[in-house]
Amino acid sequence: MIENAQLIGLSRQMALQRQLDVVANNMANINSTGFRAEVLLFEEYVMPVAADRTFPYGDQPLSYVQDWATVHDMQGGAIVQSGNPLDIALQGDGFLALSTPEGERWTRNGVLQINAQGVLVNQNGHPVMARGGGQIAFGPDETDVVITPDGQVSSSAGAKGTLRIVEFDNPQALTRAGDTMFAGGEPVEAQSTTVLQGAVEGSNVSGITEMAEMIRVTRAYTSLADLMSRQDEMRQSAIQRLGNPNA
Amino acid sequence: MRALYIASTGMAAQERNVEVISNNIANMRTTGFKRQRAEFQDLLYQSYRRAGASTSDAGTQVPVGIEVGSGVRVAATARITSQGNVTPTEKELDVAIRGEGYLTVTLPDGRTAYTRDGALERDGDGRLVTVDGYPLEPGINVPEDAQSIAISRDGMIQAFFGNSTEPVQIGQIQLARFVNTAGLESMGDNLFLETPASGQAQVGFPDSDGMGNLLQGYLESSNVNAVTEMADLIAAQRAYEMNARVISGADEMLRAATQMR
Repeated sequence: MIENAQLIGLSRQMALQRQLDVVANNMANINSTGFRAEVLLFEEYVMPVAADRTFPYGDQPLSYVQDWATVHDMQGGAIVQSGNPLDIALQGDGFLALSTPEGERWTRNGVLQINAQGVLVNQNGHPVMARGGGQIAFGPDETDVVITPDGQVSSSAGAKGTLRIVEFDNPQALTRAGDTMFAGGEPVEAQSTTVLQGAVEGSNVSGITEMAEMIRVTRAYTSLADLMSRQDEMRQSAIQRLGNPNA
Repeated sequence: MRALYIASTGMAAQERNVEVISNNIANMRTTGFKRQRAEFQDLLYQSYRRAGASTSDAGTQVPVGIEVGSGVRVAATARITSQGNVTPTEKELDVAIRGEGYLTVTLPDGRTAYTRDGALERDGDGRLVTVDGYPLEPGINVPEDAQSIAISRDGMIQAFFGNSTEPVQIGQIQLARFVNTAGLESMGDNLFLETPASGQAQVGFPDSDGMGNLLQGYLESSNVNAVTEMADLIAAQRAYEMNARVISGADEMLRAATQMR
């Protein structure tokens, strides 16, 4: 029984370590444009071993802690005016579609650039997809890029196409691909997302929440460590007393 | 305990952020300076439990997986090429560019550089040069006996001689523009160099083909806004402190682990 208590405590400690990793990652990305915070969820894992139930006070079921999922916190981040005509912020639940060598990726990071070939790309040079396929490209002598709230891009040379903005019925099914991009999911054309030109969406990490979470994690960890050393003391004294031939 | 390393990437990123902000503030009064902004991106994720993996023979699936990130990195320090304010200087060889385009200058080593700093001077040979003495490209010679000089919106330079009221045209300033101005390489001294990312320079005369126009007697000040820089500085400083706090939190957990008996 004492060993079980230690193992249960250990399962919680391992989960807490991973939770601190998640907090640290959120905190590290507190200034990453379009970043979405992660929340780690835990579940109980009931030990399904043979139990002695013949006596009225039989074995109690043991439950361990197991981390179960990291969910994406999809709240909007703060919209910051940047004044750069190629910065866009998305208002609503939509994502900007990018075409990368690994396939389609989705991002909330609307810091765009025009590359040497005149194609509208994101910071990593992945082309931004246009609705109906293809890219959005500009000629060398075009100026005054305008992006309307419904994602239509135009310049001094006229309309250039519409940004492909997608929404997901279940954004939790998306996986993180790094570089503030998401992968997977079942995209549908956006219905309720509008584009704001000249602004970027900050990270939605709340420093205060993460700090509070971190304090909770470290305190829980130390109290568990304390609990486990008490368990150890109990075992030690049990061995000393029971093992004493004079007892 | 990866939290230690994750938080250290956060601290390193904020350190870089403060460097960028301090450079912006230091160049608040630099003619033609364009502010930079540090852009961050998250690093790769480690997947402990993959979404979509089957959880039973009946075909049930993991709806949401476990992904733990590994920190942050600086993705770009993009230059924001918005127009700076034009301020009057009442100096006849100062020109401000309103709109797109860069003045083209020849460096002493023969390379071509581009600048928004239109504080021009005449050198000993009468050439129009930048404050560092680098001549404009194509070179423009102002005759020694020219009384006064007029520079028009489209870059035409006219000189007046003696008592004559008829101006004489002595050259036209050319501008260069790039498809991707953010891809230019900064070489200091308000100068930029062409790179494969910026694309080839498109040369033309001011006030045509999408080029900006020139304004004589004015200079373009930097587009740094003190208030936003200060706000960014405070945000960066706090983010740094919070990441440092995560490191001490992780340290506290490790200490608890080592003190367990």
